[in-house]
Amino acid sequence: MILTAITLGFILEKVILVSIILGGSLGIAMYSTWAERKVAAVMQDRRGPNRAGPFGLFQPLADGLKLFMKEEIIPTLSNKFLFILGPSLAMLMACMTSAVIPWGPNIVHADGSVFTLQVADINIGILFIFGVVSLGVYGIMLGSWASNNKYSLLSGLRAAAQAVSYELAMGLSLIALVMMSGSLSMREIVEQQHGFWNNGYFTWNFFKQPLAFVIFIVCSFAELNRAPFDLSECESELVGGYHTEFSSMKLGFYLFAEYINMFITSIILSSLFFGGYNYPGMDWVALHVSPLFVSIIGVLVLLGKAVAFILFFMFIRWTLPRFRYDQLMDLGWKSLIPLALFNMLVTGAIILAFQK
Amino acid sequence: MILLEAFSTPVNYFPILIQLVLAIGFVIVMMGATHLLGPKRKTTDKLENFECGIEQEGNARQPLAVKYFLVAILFVLFDVEVIFFYPYAINFRELGWNGFIAVVMFVAFFILGFTYIIKKGALNWED
Amino acid sequence: MNGANILFYLLAAMILGSGLLAVTTRQLFRAAIYLLFSLIGMAGMYFWLQYEFIAAVQVVVYVGGITVLIIFSIFLTQQAGEKMLVKKTGQQIFAAIAAFCGFALVMVQIVQNNFTATKNLSLSPSVTNIGNQMLGVDKGGYALPFEVVSILLLAALIGSIVIALRTPTQTS
Repeated sequence: MILTAITLGFILEKVILVSIILGGSLGIAMYSTWAERKVAAVMQDRRGPNRAGPFGLFQPLADGLKLFMKEEIIPTLSNKFLFILGPSLAMLMACMTSAVIPWGPNIVHADGSVFTLQVADINIGILFIFGVVSLGVYGIMLGSWASNNKYSLLSGLRAAAQAVSYELAMGLSLIALVMMSGSLSMREIVEQQHGFWNNGYFTWNFFKQPLAFVIFIVCSFAELNRAPFDLSECESELVGGYHTEFSSMKLGFYLFAEYINMFITSIILSSLFFGGYNYPGMDWVALHVSPLFVSIIGVLVLLGKAVAFILFFMFIRWTLPRFRYDQLMDLGWKSLIPLALFNMLVTGAIILAFQK
Repeated sequence: MILLEAFSTPVNYFPILIQLVLAIGFVIVMMGATHLLGPKRKTTDKLENFECGIEQEGNARQPLAVKYFLVAILFVLFDVEVIFFYPYAINFRELGWNGFIAVVMFVAFFILGFTYIIKKGALNWED
Repeated sequence: MNGANILFYLLAAMILGSGLLAVTTRQLFRAAIYLLFSLIGMAGMYFWLQYEFIAAVQVVVYVGGITVLIIFSIFLTQQAGEKMLVKKTGQQIFAAIAAFCGFALVMVQIVQNNFTATKNLSLSPSVTNIGNQMLGVDKGGYALPFEVVSILLLAALIGSIVIALRTPTQTS
């Protein structure tokens, strides 16, 4: 292992990029809470938050401050160390997924140096995401166990069993995608979806792998513990779910981690299936305007796609009722896994049959 | 068709380390800040576990249903199978029909086991 | 001492430190969590060695799978929350001797073995190469072991079902 190529400038560049990404995803997560309440309000014919600032826009800030100022309660019967580690791990894992996401096309400076809008371009990007997602379950399991509360423990169990079940279908659905692209690198997969239309067909993976997309998005709902799969925090049976005992910023970490995960999942969905930072007419922009604009518009397009997915997640939450636990497990094991396997084999057979 | 893999050096992984360090720092700072900022007025009643307002009854850490354990076992086994598909998926074009047949055989065993667990009722949640 | 060395020692300290904590703690659940960190450190070590795919497998299978299984099996036990009893002195002494003998055996092997660099051109452990080798049917391919693995997994599957589902059938 050689680290000679690392200069101070490189480190500084990456530190700034990482800070922007972490800060940005936190900001978006904060405003997702506002958007969620507004969406809920619109769908239930209410007004939603409208007191703090115009349209209630300062509401997330007030909420954040409130969480900071609340008393930190650690129940006497709980394990203090694990009680603190649980929410910390949940937050940490939420912050790590964004490391391999390509946020925009490379910016080439006039002197030939390249500025990559990606923290780390590793060639096992998809497996990295898969790994971090599989770690995400520990935050919930630790917190629920440490609380020593019956509701928390039940909820943690449900969440863990649900997360591992849907991880399988998620991994299988991605294999069909990897077969098409022949790479595990996120950058490579996004680059292959360049533009929108090429050689008489769409370039975006959604049009080539619609079934994989459907499986993947259903699994994302389950991995995010969002309605209709939010059995780990159903208020009617389990009080507050795994975060019943948590207060102040520890509770905040669980909530924020969930919203950060939602944002990052939306970004991953758009990168893998909807072309990431690619958009129709990007070649025209590069030719007629400036390559720099391609990158700037690319980042905005990616964020736009992510916001569309976030809104989709929210519409679903306020539209569909919750699943029953056996239905949830049946869907994951008996429908999605065979479907994903079928999709994988059919994809392989078709590509091999048409390949010369 | 040649599938070139992007040249990856340890330098590519170094930024992940930077992100990890920054994320850990952020988590520690936030945890410390909330610990310092919040009021500290603890009473024994307040520090009791929540149980819908009644006094706590017994220990929460009871043995769980064996079903959950079974899900975990099945997950580990299937996870190993899924991870085997990734190296295949990367270069299944070069491996051609030979590789495809090998994987179909692999999947056949997978499905065999899968039908077995379903027929055995390992995934039935209604007792 | 360059950056790579520092990273190596940090990772080694993480693996050994959390491994030691895992075996010395008296709370079962905490031991599983320390094991988790030890396994993460090992994944980091594979990354350090540039065995990317092995590192990813380590994270997905061991960290994300096996440890969940271990935690679930702790949930199954009767007194998961209680502290484990301290063993008798006699047991402790014999355990220490056994551990020392195992350690000595491994160390003797390592010291006696004289490590030489391979003369063959080493293949890079990239995912592409692993896939080609794993499913290759030519000389040096591992297609047959690959199929045997699937049979092994099937056997494990059936075994786990038989063991785990035995209790309800007996009681009913």
